[in-house]
Amino acid sequence: MIILLLLIIPIITAIACVFTKKHGISKYISIAGSFIALVYNIYLNYNIYTYKTLQGFNNFFYVDALTILTTQIVTIVAFAAALYSAGYMEAELRWGKISEKKLQWYYFLMHMFIFTMLLVCVLNNLGVMWVAIEGTTLATTFLVGFYNGKQHQEAAWKYIILCSVGITLALFGVILTYHSAKGVLGEIGYALNWSDLRTVADKFEPHLMKLAFLFILVGYGTKAGLAPMHTWLPDAHSQAPSPISALFSGVLINCSMYGIIRYHILTSKCVGSDYSCTLLMIFGLISIIVSVPFILIQKDYKRLLAFSSVEHIGVIALGIGFGGMYSVYGAELHTFNHAVTKALLFFCAGNLFLKYKTTEMENIKGVIKTLPVTGTILAIAVFAITGTPPFNIFVSEFLILADGFHSGNLFTIIFTCIVIVCITLIFVGFIYNMFRMIFGTPTGDIPKGETSKFTTAAMLFLLFFVLIISFYIPPLLREVLRNIYDIMRNA
Amino acid sequence: MTQQIIVNSRAIDILAVLMLMTTIVLIGTSRLRTCIWAYACRSFMLTLASGLIAYFSGIHHIYITTGISLALKVVVIPGFLFYIVKKNNIKKEVGSYINYTLALILACCIILIAYYSTQNIIQFENIFMRHCLPIALSITLLGFFIMISRKQAITQIIGLITMEDGMFFAALSTSYGMPLIVELGLFFDILVSVIIMGIYVYRIKESFDDLDTDLLRELRE
Repeated sequence: MIILLLLIIPIITAIACVFTKKHGISKYISIAGSFIALVYNIYLNYNIYTYKTLQGFNNFFYVDALTILTTQIVTIVAFAAALYSAGYMEAELRWGKISEKKLQWYYFLMHMFIFTMLLVCVLNNLGVMWVAIEGTTLATTFLVGFYNGKQHQEAAWKYIILCSVGITLALFGVILTYHSAKGVLGEIGYALNWSDLRTVADKFEPHLMKLAFLFILVGYGTKAGLAPMHTWLPDAHSQAPSPISALFSGVLINCSMYGIIRYHILTSKCVGSDYSCTLLMIFGLISIIVSVPFILIQKDYKRLLAFSSVEHIGVIALGIGFGGMYSVYGAELHTFNHAVTKALLFFCAGNLFLKYKTTEMENIKGVIKTLPVTGTILAIAVFAITGTPPFNIFVSEFLILADGFHSGNLFTIIFTCIVIVCITLIFVGFIYNMFRMIFGTPTGDIPKGETSKFTTAAMLFLLFFVLIISFYIPPLLREVLRNIYDIMRNA
Repeated sequence: MTQQIIVNSRAIDILAVLMLMTTIVLIGTSRLRTCIWAYACRSFMLTLASGLIAYFSGIHHIYITTGISLALKVVVIPGFLFYIVKKNNIKKEVGSYINYTLALILACCIILIAYYSTQNIIQFENIFMRHCLPIALSITLLGFFIMISRKQAITQIIGLITMEDGMFFAALSTSYGMPLIVELGLFFDILVSVIIMGIYVYRIKESFDDLDTDLLRELRE
């Protein structure tokens, strides 16, 4: 029951937002709803701290440390995005880009999107989890094509087609898992519950599980943005409204990664961890390498941030692939760090767009003068996302890479070296592109001043997390990360 | 008893082969209406096969999925696709990146690959599914092939639902379908995704004045 409540909150918020006629009220409902979800999730987090796992509805829901980390990220970024939307969408309303009627649907779709992401995380049945991941695609297609321009429709079409194909391939993985589980467990109804599968995974047919994991990795990997299946990602992330881009880059890719990790645990238990770890490492490395040239030559700042997400999902996959204690800890910490930092950057990008009305980087100069707060936060966030010490991403990347060297395996060390070269190049690309925008004198007469107090509050909220993780990891988070490693190791 | 199983297996095999043939018709034809009819026919055979499997195996929940599949895949989705074609006044088929003869030859190769690769994956406890998994995989891959090779938005939708049909058949033939709740969710997803894609077909037609997805090339590096 206590798990169900987490899912009901966003649904009620979504419906309430549709039925209120005035934007003045619906934005407060949206903020309040996501704030309650955030607080409630912290409460669940304490429960996990004491009981390790929670189950509900005849094992239909299953919550452990891995779930709670993902839902915590979802609720934090969702609250920030709701806060930011209040200011951002109102500014677009004044600008005349959207109508008041559309705004209601915006809030509805946003909270349904949050609902589907939370649903993915708490489900125990792997088949229903597949349905929920497809559900996230369906809930967000209209958000990608929200502005109805030609390029928005193109992005939305690519998004729904590519993600649906990927998800359909993943279904084959689910079917194969079900087939091998049925051979062992026998009972039809319960054969797909992750908590049951985990206990008997070692009795599955190894070649079936290998094949299943491959399909799952390609299928959910499409949704997670792992290269070479990432081609929809820069389009969708850059064409969606900025708060939605933050949710996409910050949390949606983590939800798909969550699905992959669940199967990774099963496959490791069945055939030993080498097989799935190697695959994750290879896909992770390809993602990092692929993102480098696109970041270096990029002209559009939202696409730049989107390609950076491809890089970071690669880092996360790599960290899980290394499989050591520090790297898994680092990878899960990186999930959190990347979510808050990337969401913060997309918020900055939204403010730039509202001020300069362009997404081309060459046309933007002197952000620090026209938008003093955004400019400062942008500079900090750029340093953070590129992994500059002492910021949070440095901490998690350092943990992952140190473990890569520590493993002593020759391939792992070569992989780690390549990653360090790539990260350095990405650092150069980011600093060069972003600091040309931040400094300089603004061309034309652009008025000085921030967008609204809501957007600033949302940015400060996320900046708080960026800075605190840089210097101190709260005990609650530390315990969750340690539990995740235990879940993976016991597999 | 053995006689019975052989007869059953024949019936399902024949249906499976017919499904594969209608999928090949999809690849070989350029006319949109023929494509939708072929899809509806294949869905009907899939439903029939699903009904037969329910009857032979005596698992009741397959009847429910058979019923929903009959309503959704044979009636609602083809009907919706015809509606989109009519509403958007689509006359011409935009065509394919490769010509139809070559496409048919490639389709044969895909079927061979599917047969070869699934030969020894699964040891079947029952004989009457032996040819079904390769065919299911072939249908999935052929759907994928349709999506890659065709330029038109509606043919891409048909490719996607072809893939999903293949998966549905794979689940049916390997393990008598998925648990009921998963199947229900699957049908819901298919329905909603086809409707959303239909809406986007309309919007793309409005703004690009054509349904050629080759025109969708504004977002490039």
